[in-house]
Amino acid sequence: MRKTDDIIDSLVDDLKPVPRQALLLRFALGILPALAVSLVLMVTVAGLRPDLSQALSLPVFWIKSGYNALLAITAFLTVYRLARPDGSKGHFFEAVAAIFAAMAVVAVAQLLRSPAEAYPVLILGSSALHCPFLIFAFALPVFAGNVWILRRAAPTRLRLTGFISGVAAGAAGAWVYSWFCTENGMPFVLIWYSLGILLTGLLGSLLGPRLLRW
Amino acid sequence: MTTAHSEEALKTLMLLSLNGDEVAYRHLLNALRVLLVGYYSRRMGAATKADMEDLVQETLLALHTRRSTYDRERPFTAWFFSIARYKLIDHHRGSGGRKLAEAELGEEIESDFSEEAVTARMDVERLLDGLPAKQRELIRRVKLEGQSVADTASRTGQSESAVKVGIHRGLKALAEKLRGGA
Repeated sequence: MRKTDDIIDSLVDDLKPVPRQALLLRFALGILPALAVSLVLMVTVAGLRPDLSQALSLPVFWIKSGYNALLAITAFLTVYRLARPDGSKGHFFEAVAAIFAAMAVVAVAQLLRSPAEAYPVLILGSSALHCPFLIFAFALPVFAGNVWILRRAAPTRLRLTGFISGVAAGAAGAWVYSWFCTENGMPFVLIWYSLGILLTGLLGSLLGPRLLRW
Repeated sequence: MTTAHSEEALKTLMLLSLNGDEVAYRHLLNALRVLLVGYYSRRMGAATKADMEDLVQETLLALHTRRSTYDRERPFTAWFFSIARYKLIDHHRGSGGRKLAEAELGEEIESDFSEEAVTARMDVERLLDGLPAKQRELIRRVKLEGQSVADTASRTGQSESAVKVGIHRGLKALAEKLRGGA
């Protein structure tokens, strides 16, 4: 066993200055390229939705995009805090509940303004069964990026950090997927998108204690 | 904590270290080493000296490799002892991985069984032992366990005023004992 004195000597020898924004930089390096990989995968494997030019003028497209983006940003900000040993989850679950509730209001409003015959399309669409799994797949590169970041950081609540970093990856994957998905139903997004995000969150909480330990 | 180990002194050393000041860093590591030995020895009663030394080394290494997670705007000791605490829990959890629940349990153990809490409770018990059994029971029920006077009266088969008088006499006797320097 090495003596503590020797360890201190070697640590002092190894000291290099740490930039003020070192952790933020690592987050950028971990997330942005992973998100790019996910986008490239979506464009090459799945392809943008064929009616994208018309969709861009639809409020429902931007609500779908905004829902995922907002969830992703909320989760990433929380992971950024939890990457520090003295960090807390803050009001993460309250914020997510509020975003989900707002989306639920939009979904109900859309249903109320639509004829009952349209309900199956708005709720199940044509892709309900594979939507959560594709979101999960597009989330994986971002999840890997999160793990890469956190393995060099110092999270102390591993399962929670794993879960929220999974949610962040899931929401980012869902955002990527929303450029391919042709569904315009808000209830569809509320149910199946959220399910895909939750699935990635569960993966994170399962792997967190193992992958993030230090 | 002595002034050399105060939050301000340690934080100053940490800020200098993050800028690459090796002399400050050596001071910091040596000071933290002393603090860690105290911290771990209070919390690992039966541990061997080698175990403790291991943990101290591991914590200093963690500080080194994870130092980019320190936010310069926030207290240094809170950050550092979060690492120490994590390493302690990780140590208790063992290498293979017993249940994570234990980690959460650790939090309660630490606050409930801290040195201060345990000694304070022992002191009270010792003082109470010197009282007549009847008064001792009343004080324990009402003052320590927080039961109401009415409840205690019905459970011990006394009137409420008898309970109040008993507690009053008991407390007076305790005060006298304390004043006598018992």
